[in-house]
Amino acid sequence: MPETPPRRKAPVPVKIIVAGGFGVGKTTTVGAISEISPLTTEAEMTMESVGVDVPGQATAKTTTTIAMDFGCVTIDQTLKLYLFGTPGQSRFSFMWDDLVRGALGALVVVDTSRIDDCYPAVDYFERAGLPFVVGVNTFNGQLGYNLDEVRWALAVRDEVPVVQFDARFRGSVRDALLVVLDQALNKALRMRQ
Amino acid sequence: MRYPAGPDDPEHPATPGVRPFLRGKEAPPAPQEVAPALRPFVITSGRVAAIDPDIGLETQVSALPSAYYARLSPEQRAIVQLCRDPLSLAEISAQLRMHFGVTRILVCDLRAAGHLDVHVLQSDFPDPDTIMRVIRGLRSIP
Repeated sequence: MPETPPRRKAPVPVKIIVAGGFGVGKTTTVGAISEISPLTTEAEMTMESVGVDVPGQATAKTTTTIAMDFGCVTIDQTLKLYLFGTPGQSRFSFMWDDLVRGALGALVVVDTSRIDDCYPAVDYFERAGLPFVVGVNTFNGQLGYNLDEVRWALAVRDEVPVVQFDARFRGSVRDALLVVLDQALNKALRMRQ
Repeated sequence: MRYPAGPDDPEHPATPGVRPFLRGKEAPPAPQEVAPALRPFVITSGRVAAIDPDIGLETQVSALPSAYYARLSPEQRAIVQLCRDPLSLAEISAQLRMHFGVTRILVCDLRAAGHLDVHVLQSDFPDPDTIMRVIRGLRSIP
């Protein structure tokens, strides 16, 4: 290889996780704001099955390979934001430890017709102490339930914002991510004190 | 389930050409649980444990000039070629269609061999100034 130094200095990466059940619009969310069309990587996750266990047996922990869609936004030459869309299925709770490490926060995408799909994500982020925002995806501008009803159904703490957004539009996704960043900023300021 | 001891076993006469489980009423034994997704790790010589847990999906990797470039495996060479400009591990994994865990192990090996610079971040959570820059950056998106 020719002796040439790297042309660019490596930017500082930051990441936000976009979580939610199957088909709620995670990839659409990532694609709406990403400067590259979403890429897919396969990674391993520890999976604890809930509700499908044979009675009397210990909870089965298995490892499964999942596909993750991601995109990025270059903030400036030295800072790059990555968005990772990660699956969370009902009946399975994933261990996102690898993914969550160093993350700014998470946007939990919710489809009001299948609210319970996002329970594993909400549970996980609450336990992990990661700032998160519940983003209700309005399919065709329609909301099945209003935001208060969603908040009641999820029983999230009052500090957790529940917002409405449209995964298809860049501006809408941007605003939802800004709410996540606001939560992240609060956490960072608390940690500094 | 017992297999016939031989062609002369009176209790279990052998029937040539018929698989044993098709004759008996017993169900065949359940297949042994096989650990899933092991095959991608053939190119890491079977190692699955990541060397450095601080290396994440977003960690930036860049190539260093190296004299022993020709000795690398095709996968390792592909990684070094891809990282002439800094690239995240997730992008390397996606572009080379290689499992993230495999990519991470190969990148760790390449770093140990002096082919790659892996920019591991020290702090666990970004500082407020960095977050403010992300906020300003996103706000400027139309």
